[in-house]
Amino acid sequence: MYKIRIHGRGGQGAKKAAKIIGQAAFDMGKQVQDFALYGAERRGAPVMSFVRIDDNPILERGYIDDPDVVIVLDKALLEIVNVSAGLDENGLLIINSEQEPVLDTPAMVKHVDATTIALEIIGKPIFNTIMLGALAKFTNIISKDALDRAVEEELSKYPDKIIKANKDAVKKCYEVA
Amino acid sequence: MKHLLITGNEAAAWGARLIKPHFIPTFPITPQTECIETLARWKVEGDLPDTDFERMESEHSVMSAAIGAAAVGVRVFTATSSQGLMLMHEVLYIASGMRLPIVMVNISRGLSAPVTLWSDHNDFLDQRDSGWIMFHAENNQEVLDMVLQGYRIAEDPRVLLPVMVNMDGYVLSFTDEPVIIPSYEDVKQFLPAYDPQHTITSDRPVTVGPPVMDEYTDYKAQMHLASRNALTVLDEVQNDFEKIFGRRYHTVDEFMLDDAELVLITQGSMSTTAKAAILEMREEGIKVGLLRLRVIRPWPGEIICKALQNVKAIAVIDRNIAPGKGGIMLPEIVESLYHSINRPLVSGFIVGLGGKPQTEAKIKEITHKLANDLASGRPRIEWNDVEVS
Repeated sequence: MYKIRIHGRGGQGAKKAAKIIGQAAFDMGKQVQDFALYGAERRGAPVMSFVRIDDNPILERGYIDDPDVVIVLDKALLEIVNVSAGLDENGLLIINSEQEPVLDTPAMVKHVDATTIALEIIGKPIFNTIMLGALAKFTNIISKDALDRAVEEELSKYPDKIIKANKDAVKKCYEVA
Repeated sequence: MKHLLITGNEAAAWGARLIKPHFIPTFPITPQTECIETLARWKVEGDLPDTDFERMESEHSVMSAAIGAAAVGVRVFTATSSQGLMLMHEVLYIASGMRLPIVMVNISRGLSAPVTLWSDHNDFLDQRDSGWIMFHAENNQEVLDMVLQGYRIAEDPRVLLPVMVNMDGYVLSFTDEPVIIPSYEDVKQFLPAYDPQHTITSDRPVTVGPPVMDEYTDYKAQMHLASRNALTVLDEVQNDFEKIFGRRYHTVDEFMLDDAELVLITQGSMSTTAKAAILEMREEGIKVGLLRLRVIRPWPGEIICKALQNVKAIAVIDRNIAPGKGGIMLPEIVESLYHSINRPLVSGFIVGLGGKPQTEAKIKEITHKLANDLASGRPRIEWNDVEVS
């Protein structure tokens, strides 16, 4: 089973990112469970979301404390949240940062400047979907095609222009990551 | 038929959409809001053309409106949670007393004070004696399926009681899982158009729920018998459901019970975690199994007793608390086992209040404690790892 944990802040779309990963894996014929940990969360508060992906029905429930992959949407979280908790030497951490972060973890750390890509292509600092381009690049959990379709599906309530901008930004992230 | 990745709230909404209710009175409350938001969106988008969707001013009004609509013979759906269910409390008894086949989904959430948004089972177990048929789902597929089955059971002339389908807030309500969405055609075959036998119409004015004296007991006795009938009806409905949809549910969910010496009794979503833990413990040679309570009312005591006839020790895991007493389901289980020839040791564990996570490690710990209790011959009552008496 693949376990993914996403760290973000309320309003940054950690929940949506988990849904898109889930939808992409589901589209690839996998068993999926995705959810977000939130209560009366407010914009800016640290939040987490989770995805489990397997070939067999998933019996685990609840928070993921032994992830295979951690995605960090906001590098400022490093100061207040132990984002690498539970990652081992086989793990992967992908962080939205313009430079290599200083992290005490046995896991492989990759960074991608999703904020700049977001500002360039979408015109707003919305980088939750963009970070998933890096996930598709660095792992074989979800394919680029399935990710594309999932972005389209999950953003279907938005105008075509926004969907296209998001897909372009995901593509850019996939290329530069 | 299609296969979607959806939350428990959306699964409940799909159940409602597929049976095409005439009336959905609503009032929003976390964590139920997404369910009625989904239905409201479908209404606006034209997917519920024959449904009157109304936002009421409180849950008390929601159930009152549901009663009025059901009394004139239309199919009614609604959903609520926690404090909302508590505000409906007195009206729930009127719905069941008037024998109205309303189906409601409750998304469980612990009760204030202090405030919690997360799940435990006190909200709906507090309605245990209201006369409603009560189901408790383990996953999102079961939520949808129980809504469909709920109408069949509620509308059966031998039952005619309202049905409450419960799911755990957050763990199901906000978690995406793969769910099979049946086709309208299959659902129509399973649940034909509603043909109510006892309704108020303009050419047949009647009074329902009037004051009575001597007859009161008779009405309550009829309700009791109708609820007991639901156990029989439930079996018949399962047969039809399996024929049409290829899935079957049993009155109690038995998992690795055949040769089990130790048994965990669970409810709702924690059962999934417990099953994962049991699979691992089985690898270690521990003979442990699980019985999940799916039907809370009517109480399937004889079926539970039969399923547990060969076991040595039972841990009743209550995700609820009756202060001054203990777990709510523990005495129900003990009462059912009292008359059995094999009376296993029964320990009680109170866990997961206000959404405290239920992990596989916790389930294993409970199992090990139960094995110790069996060895020492002394059952325990435990709450949050603290022994209480």
